[in-house]
Amino acid sequence: MDPILKVEDLKLYFRTTKGVVQAVDGVSFELVPQTAMVIVGESGCGKSSLAKAILRLLPRNTHTYAGNIYIDGIEAMKLNDEQFRREVRWRRISYVAQAAMNSLNPVVKVGNQVAEPLFIHNNLTKEEALNRVIEAFQIVGVPVDFVDRYPFELSGGMRQRVVIAMALITNPKLVILDEPTSALDVLTQANIMNALKRIKEEFELTYILITHDISTSSELALDAMVMYAGQIVELGKAGHFYLEPLHPYSQKLMASVPTLREDKELEFIPGQPPSLINPPTGCRFAPRCPKRFSACDHEPPMVNYKDERKIKCHLYT
Amino acid sequence: MARAKRLVHPKGRRVQTFLRLLRYTFLRGLAVWIALVVGIFLTIMVANMGGYVDKIKKAQIEESINMQVFQNPAYQNLTTEEKRKLAQQLIQLEIERLELDKPFIRFDKYFWKSRAFRYLGDALVLDFGFAEHIHSTSGSKKVWIIIQERLPYSVLLFTTASLIVFLTSIFVALILSRRYGSIWDRMSVSLAPLSTAPAWFYGIILIMIFAAQLRLLPFGGFVSIPPPKTMLAYAFSVVQHMVLPLLAWFIAYIFASVYSWRTFFLIYSSEDYVEMAKAKGVPGRALERRYILRPTLPPIITSFALMLIGAWMGAIITESVFNWPGLGSLYMQAINGFDTPVIVGLTMIYAYLLGITVFLLDFIYAIVDPRIKVGGGSTA
Repeated sequence: MDPILKVEDLKLYFRTTKGVVQAVDGVSFELVPQTAMVIVGESGCGKSSLAKAILRLLPRNTHTYAGNIYIDGIEAMKLNDEQFRREVRWRRISYVAQAAMNSLNPVVKVGNQVAEPLFIHNNLTKEEALNRVIEAFQIVGVPVDFVDRYPFELSGGMRQRVVIAMALITNPKLVILDEPTSALDVLTQANIMNALKRIKEEFELTYILITHDISTSSELALDAMVMYAGQIVELGKAGHFYLEPLHPYSQKLMASVPTLREDKELEFIPGQPPSLINPPTGCRFAPRCPKRFSACDHEPPMVNYKDERKIKCHLYT
Repeated sequence: MARAKRLVHPKGRRVQTFLRLLRYTFLRGLAVWIALVVGIFLTIMVANMGGYVDKIKKAQIEESINMQVFQNPAYQNLTTEEKRKLAQQLIQLEIERLELDKPFIRFDKYFWKSRAFRYLGDALVLDFGFAEHIHSTSGSKKVWIIIQERLPYSVLLFTTASLIVFLTSIFVALILSRRYGSIWDRMSVSLAPLSTAPAWFYGIILIMIFAAQLRLLPFGGFVSIPPPKTMLAYAFSVVQHMVLPLLAWFIAYIFASVYSWRTFFLIYSSEDYVEMAKAKGVPGRALERRYILRPTLPPIITSFALMLIGAWMGAIITESVFNWPGLGSLYMQAINGFDTPVIVGLTMIYAYLLGITVFLLDFIYAIVDPRIKVGGGSTA
């Protein structure tokens, strides 16, 4: 099957007063249609920057933005901003932002905001668009009469659902969800996760789910990517990753996930993630790695492990 | 609370809303009015130096009456002693007429009869009394009539000037905020200090160039003398006279204004919902209109309204430099001539305009921003 998203050697660096931050450094991966890939990693490892790089939502201090991105057969890096806006934004990729609570314009009724992409990309009339909005609200579980409300009149969970409805309204193929539930209570989280799962089946969507909540993400994940210090360290099927993580960092990460009512010593990783300004040469995880050895002073290659996953570690060469 | 709201019949809700609005309007108006009364009272106290001005006035009366009596040829035959006595009598009469023998203000049961309180009452009904030297073109010495005559000139010039500066700077600032870090953006930052020079400074330079040297535009005034006969020619002449003051005002304020709005828009264009709208594919113009301008309308409107009434009142030197017959040059005249009633009158007009503006802004906020409800607090 042709990949719906193919990323090759993607780089996104930021200019800061202290130097250049290599937030995303040479990331490559492919997504087959209708999969759901979860991206996990610590805060500041470049997960959200990766999402923004794919969506071309570049901050003002962007230093380098390079690599290749193929979205649904389109070579995105070759498009100019206007073409990208017309062809890609919300037509092929939609996005649920990390701060979904603040993702809605406070002074525009939510119905109008959800309908907006239809006016921009599909040239629908007001009435047609409103019907679609009502449909979308029913799918995500928002009461229909909320279309005339303002964001501040909605609870956090409802706002989140509205943002998800907005992401689905133009039937894009790929949805990037950047911590869609992290600000919500567990019940609402579960509700929304279930809704996302149902919607994915119903509309044959492809998800990229960025999270640091590994346990919740396992509900949805088919593929998994572990990021550390701006790079991919492990990439493969979710089943393999959740059951038997291979990269020392992935192992530590999994060991830090709490399990209910089980006497388990939660582990943590000593030390701090490296600064992305002048990151260490060689393996970036080496300073904190319990299994480090002499080879770790050199940059590890991406190893194809049993053809089921890729691991950036000298242990598997 | 939202649930409970829906249970009430819509008609009942509308009546409730109306009553709430009425109650709020009344309370808010009262609060503004009280603030105004206090402000005006303080102005009266300050302008009269808490009663010290009485002493100055007494000295002035003594001096002028003594002069009149001793230099009047009609009293030539009187002895010095008699002249002194006569002068003393006249002085006493004048002091009693002006009630300068009674204290300016007293804090006992006679407070209500003191002049300070009477002045306050008069000021509140826009009765500012009579000017000491200045008079209107129609010949009246009533302060209110003098101010009424001058106000439209200031309103005309400075509403135009403020609108031009405001709209230009918003437009340019939006463009610059989109091109953060570009050459134009950095230039606007480094040009901002040009606004430290006041408008009258640029005015003088502009007069030197365009009026004195090039003789393209008039030196000042409102219309050429004699005024043109036809409406069209008259209007054209007025516009000609407005060009230089407008230009001076524009140069003096545009740089700082662009700079501050640019910073304002930079802050608000990094809101999450702006990024989201960009991801949605909202085109640039619509993004600015709907996602940057709309949510920030309340502070924008406030800033414009306050700038406007400030300009009507505060352009003292600029109006004088251009000989513009507005409130600013009236201020200048009044200050130079120690015309206290006019100064107090002008200050009070400003207080009134400010009070009314603040009062109206509350309602404008509620119209432009659904998050703000008039009389809000409780959502019920």
